[in-house]
Amino acid sequence: MQQNFLLKKEKLNEFLTALSKEAKVFVPALNENNASCFLPFKNQEIFLSKRTSFSPKKILLPPLEKEFIFRKKSSSFKIEHLLDSKKRVFFGVRSCDTHAIKALDKLYLEYFTEDEWYKAIREDITIIALQCSKSCENGFCKSMGTNNPVGHDLLFVEKEKSFFVEAASERGKQVVQKYRDFFNQTNFIKPEPKLKFGKKLETFGLKEILDKNFSHKKWKSEAKKCLSCSSCTQVCPSCYCFLSFDKFILDSGDSERFRAWDSCQLKRFTKVSHNYVFRESRESRLRQFVMHKLSYFPENHGLPLCVGCGRCISVCPVGIDLTEIASTIRGDVK
Amino acid sequence: MKKLSLTAPALAEIIEVRKDTDKIKTFTIKYVDKQDQKRFHFVPGKFLMVSVFGFGEMPISLSSSPLKTESLQLTIKDVGTITHAMLQLKKGDKIGLRGPFGTGFPIARFRKKNILFVSGGCGMAPLRPLVCAIADKREEFGELKLLYGCQNSDHVLFREDLKEWGKSGGLDVLLTVDKCTPDWGGSCGPVTVLFNKTEINPENAVACVVGPPVMLHFVIKELKKCGFKDEQIYASLERLMHCGMGKCAHCNVAEKYACIDGPVFNGTELAKMPLEEK
Repeated sequence: MQQNFLLKKEKLNEFLTALSKEAKVFVPALNENNASCFLPFKNQEIFLSKRTSFSPKKILLPPLEKEFIFRKKSSSFKIEHLLDSKKRVFFGVRSCDTHAIKALDKLYLEYFTEDEWYKAIREDITIIALQCSKSCENGFCKSMGTNNPVGHDLLFVEKEKSFFVEAASERGKQVVQKYRDFFNQTNFIKPEPKLKFGKKLETFGLKEILDKNFSHKKWKSEAKKCLSCSSCTQVCPSCYCFLSFDKFILDSGDSERFRAWDSCQLKRFTKVSHNYVFRESRESRLRQFVMHKLSYFPENHGLPLCVGCGRCISVCPVGIDLTEIASTIRGDVK
Repeated sequence: MKKLSLTAPALAEIIEVRKDTDKIKTFTIKYVDKQDQKRFHFVPGKFLMVSVFGFGEMPISLSSSPLKTESLQLTIKDVGTITHAMLQLKKGDKIGLRGPFGTGFPIARFRKKNILFVSGGCGMAPLRPLVCAIADKREEFGELKLLYGCQNSDHVLFREDLKEWGKSGGLDVLLTVDKCTPDWGGSCGPVTVLFNKTEINPENAVACVVGPPVMLHFVIKELKKCGFKDEQIYASLERLMHCGMGKCAHCNVAEKYACIDGPVFNGTELAKMPLEEK
């Protein structure tokens, strides 16, 4: 059976409205601060012009998530385990972000033991990927081999008056079957947009080069600019660190446990007892960010933790660019 | 049998509190669910994630003998919010436990070897289960020596055990304190001063080191000076884990996670790590 279809552009919101009846749908859109991110679909204008400033990471790993409620029961506690499982649809996920989800899956579902909170959210997501039709600011996905989506269920490619739609998984086929009225079958083959990339990151042998140049002067000179603002780790679609803390529900004796985003760029990240901090210098923290992405994670999981979206470069207030750091260090290798 | 949950804390009850020093207490604890207690066993060097409800969760090394699993012990020093709250708890109070997590000391590899234990301050807590396990099968091991540094004479932990191990287990105990008081007749200074006070022979030996990061750094240096090779050294790293499952990344050291690959690492692994990334 032919698996390629067309969806008329003016039908997009109607299609998403139909999906909303059975799942929570998230779409790229502008928030109240005019920042592009993934928001619950409310029939608003869909942000299609370029990749969003924030990835769907915010839904998979909520910036603040409640894990437990500890109910005080006379001299003991009752532990309520909170898991947020529901049907979700992510519409308009760019290729880079599908690869970031793949990396997060590796860590949170496969490594050592699965994470129940991530699994609850991740388990039932239909991913509708959107092929980029032009290259984006600071992106270098081609260098990272992440310029074609993975793990998605449907692929949308924007054409002039319609979207070319490819069902990429069983789940994707079922969506098309179920909402067949929105789709017209087509004999067109998938358009392959020609993208030009301004940035490049040569990954060949990069891990070894970075490992051998742990004390390279570039780390120090670049870190001089760094403000430790942690914007890079927040916009990164694959940065996943978190911390855990409790809070009392006042007046009840009950308490709650939360997990919240953390960042390796903050000094307290490696603080232990007696205020000893392992990565005290900005140099060591900036290096941790880059090394984790390009050396440590690949070693453990067989794929980089950087998907080449370029968001960390776009957001950095002082112009730190990990592709430039990597190429400088590589350039000095004789 | 079902394993103890790694993600959800299991309820446990404090059945005894012993004050060790002005800032350190040892808690004897039992799981509320008897089945949980039956499932509980551990290798020396492993740790639990301990919940003090309303204050948070923290990694604490087990300090009891691995041979006695009808209850467990945690020796905790007041160093922050959660430990401070924990130290206020009394007999009958409930806490949450996850784990045990991490890899412990590979005791089987120490058979027939001379073992040098080096500990600083609270580092004696995770070493205690190791010494207990070795003392239990004393004849399988060679000479045993402990170098132990404390803040002052009041801070020496597990005095009874030290005496007992000295007598019956043939453990040679050398103590030193940072702050000397007139009543203290022994060595003064950091634990490294003890390296000059006794013969330390690397031949057919292993060294097990537990203590704060700075101590670890200097002790490993000292061991190397004595002729110990990387593979003869085992050290437990101090890190503040938030999950214990290799996810939160707080204990990430190069490719390793102290919570799942450690906290006990062999010297060959330590040599590849940027341990003192200041």
